[in-house]
This record gives sequence, structure tokens and C-alpha cells, in this order.
Amino acid sequence: MARINDVGGMQGFPPVAQEVDEPPFHADWEAHVFALNRALIGRGVYNLDEFRDAIERLPPQEYLASSYYEKWFRAITTLLAEKGVLTEEEMAGG
Amino acid sequence: MAERFGPGDRVQASRTDPPYHTRLPRYARGAIGTVMERQGRYPLPDRSARSLPAEPEPVYAVRFTARELFGAGDHTVTVDLWESYLRPAALEGNR
Repeated sequence: MARINDVGGMQGFPPVAQEVDEPPFHADWEAHVFALNRALIGRGVYNLDEFRDAIERLPPQEYLASSYYEKWFRAITTLLAEKGVLTEEEMAGG
Repeated sequence: MAERFGPGDRVQASRTDPPYHTRLPRYARGAIGTVMERQGRYPLPDRSARSLPAEPEPVYAVRFTARELFGAGDHTVTVDLWESYLRPAALEGNR
């Protein structure tokens, strides 16, 4: 497997954990990540497929160890640097 | 561009593993299935994922047997696949 193919169907995992009354977000930062992504795609900074590609470019071990919105956050920071919106230093500095 | 395939056509999914995003699931690569219906036209994600211009192209709902995909099972799996991912199954010599 050269890279992650983030369209489902990966085998060898236990059943997906079902959560009763699952909230849309499990932490406030997740909602911010969701909104940030919608805004950046809406403004044309990158498109949805570039975003999906950035998720799949995560090192496989990192992809597998990350939560849903952690993957989103990593993809967003990758694309912001690549598109010249922010530098790695600016993002590290908060 | 006219649709190359229609309902009932047997098609084989591409076996290539591109180094960029694709909507062709890895588990369906090389598999032979049947076109169920045309799903309209959409830009090829494999191109827009690379910031390239992507003209809309036909997308098909393609049904595969679980046996074809996974080697076992009695159910079927239907996947929306872009025309670029498919070729006529009849032209496939070796699998």
C-alpha cells in the first residue's frame, strides 16, 4: 500500500464503535476545524478533492492513529502552507 | 462526450494505483461489475485533486458481487465510478 485511499473498505479492523446520541462535535476545536474548512473551500483557497488528497498524503501510521477531525486539521495546515496562505512558522507561533 | 456505457454493460475497473486522490476504492481495482445506471456527469476528482482543470465526465453506478471484490459473501456492493476508471470487461484478456 503506497498511500492511504480514504474512500472506505479497508479491512482488518474491529466493528465501528456505535455511540448513542452522538453529538456533532466532541470538542469545540472540532467545530472550528469544520467551519475553517468550509470557509477555505468556499473562498476557493483549495477544492474538496485537494483537501481529500491532503488527508491521504498523511503518513499511513499517522492517518491510522488520528481522529476524524485531527485528520482534517492536518490536511488544512498542509494546504495552507502549500498555497502560501501561512508559513509553518506562523502556524507554529499560533 | 457521449456515455461510453449503459445499464447492463459489464465493465472492469482500472488496476492502477495513482499517487493522488481517486474515488476508485482500492478494493474494487481490477474487479468486473455491471453498470446499473448512469449517474450524471461530474468533474474527475483525480484531476481536481491535483489542481488541474477537470471537465465533467459520465459517472456510473457499478454493482460488484462481494465474491468478486472480497472472495466471499453473498451480497453486492454498488460503487459510483467515473468513466475514466472503467473499460469494457470483454476486452480484458488476463486478470
